[in-house]
Amino acid sequence: MSEDEMSPVERIREMDRVLRPKGERPARSMSITRRTFIHKSLLAGVGIGVAGAAHYGWFPRINTIDVAFAQQPAAGFKFAWLSDTHLYPRTVNTRFVEKATRAVREIQAMNPPADFLIFGGDLAQLGDPVELQLGNEILKEVTIRKVFIPGEHDWYLDMGETWVKFFGASPWTFDHKGVRIIGLDTVGSAPDYWSAKKMSPKERMAHMSVLDGTVAGAWAGLGHKQLEWLSKTLSDWPKDRPVLIFSHNPLYEYYPPWNFWVRDWRDVHEIVKPFENVTNIHGHTHQVLYNEIGKMRSIGMLATSWPWPYAPEGVPKLTRPMIRVDPGDHFDGVGWGKLTMNDLMKVDTEYMMWRKDVYGEAEYDKGTGDNVNQILHPRIADNLWPY
Amino acid sequence: MIGKIRPRVLAGALIGLGLVGAAGLPGALAHKVKHTPEQLKLFESIFMEQVRLGDLLFHGDEATAKAMGVTLSKTGMACAMCHPVGSDVHPYEFPKYQEQMAKFATLRDMINWCIEKPNEGEKIDDDSPAMKALETYIYWSARGTKLDPGRH
Repeated sequence: MSEDEMSPVERIREMDRVLRPKGERPARSMSITRRTFIHKSLLAGVGIGVAGAAHYGWFPRINTIDVAFAQQPAAGFKFAWLSDTHLYPRTVNTRFVEKATRAVREIQAMNPPADFLIFGGDLAQLGDPVELQLGNEILKEVTIRKVFIPGEHDWYLDMGETWVKFFGASPWTFDHKGVRIIGLDTVGSAPDYWSAKKMSPKERMAHMSVLDGTVAGAWAGLGHKQLEWLSKTLSDWPKDRPVLIFSHNPLYEYYPPWNFWVRDWRDVHEIVKPFENVTNIHGHTHQVLYNEIGKMRSIGMLATSWPWPYAPEGVPKLTRPMIRVDPGDHFDGVGWGKLTMNDLMKVDTEYMMWRKDVYGEAEYDKGTGDNVNQILHPRIADNLWPY
Repeated sequence: MIGKIRPRVLAGALIGLGLVGAAGLPGALAHKVKHTPEQLKLFESIFMEQVRLGDLLFHGDEATAKAMGVTLSKTGMACAMCHPVGSDVHPYEFPKYQEQMAKFATLRDMINWCIEKPNEGEKIDDDSPAMKALETYIYWSARGTKLDPGRH
């Protein structure tokens, strides 16, 4: 039977048969059943089947997978993401302060207020207590609940001492309106690259602070202890209930040379595999990103400080690229994020970019459209070691 | 006064004149020496030293900038912050109309524009060692790409 000849119910049944993985059953607590759907669309009175359903307005909302796995409708909620402010002291750089302050004001002005703000790391640029203190002061303007995860720029001057003092330790977890929320530390377990070379804290931080540096290596990861913690934290959480994981680095392999990944991303996916609804929100990449691996969705958020070009390879196919940024406008390509856990328990993202267009449609307007014909080579000047 | 000049000195002078004269003729002596491997190595090391200096400048090394007498940023910015390993620079697309400058530009023009505007530094002399070093690093980092001048 062709698609045109199928009734809506048959079409949905067909989609479910094709898309639902073998052996898996929809949760018993489905919010609508096939009977309900037909019943309600017939009640709409205009006609039978398609016309009735359309009149009832179900069609735009129907996503077969969501219907199959939908939860008891819990109250959806809004939260804000802010990250990658990369603050220098006020006397050095005012633009970064200006942009962080603007984001904070807009977050505080959300009406109704967001349930919480997640700060996703890289508050400071060189891990200086002065920079972290400056960030702390700017963030004081946000009076809703705030939770924090570190970035590498916050950590490696004093191995996280100041960060933890101001913002607490990670990883952490809390439950909120039916969602288990987890904040990871993907930056603190870098393999030691500083002791053998007797680096000073400033040198250690300097190597870590350069994205295309060759000395700090593949520093991003959870580490064994945190993987065990993650496994334990999720062990008592029902498999059909949503999980929201915040991390500084993306929890998949996008571009390892710039640590656009975590080393142990495969282990993370093993741990979350049994869960039907996992969303990872991350920073570090300073660009719009979207990926799906298994049932984990990964959403990349903007920085307030500056945008990064899409990496020469590895941009997930599912990513709708952001617009090519104008280097003459320091408010272009940056911002913060307004996220909603909707009542189908999926995260909707609204990129609060400070210029008109977030996305580019034509190839010449896309950030990725610029990437064709790019061959790049690692730098040399930071690893000339006198052996 | 030729009679008063000693014969040996005169002979030497005539031979010298002859050599100079010969050098002026096509097919003369000066450019006939083949390159030795050592020479090529020397050329390469001169080049790589410029790559190294350009790499340092590009990544915001203050000591190098000071030594070369340039201020590439007053706000802690470095080229590499927006252009890790020279990505998104597209040196192979220059010269082209560069809309940020509203003029037809070479790579050096763009480097200077970036120093002045996003980096909030001081423009550098087009022919300065610092400009050459930056240009060297940028091209070296992008070696192997196809030339595509004029691409927006």
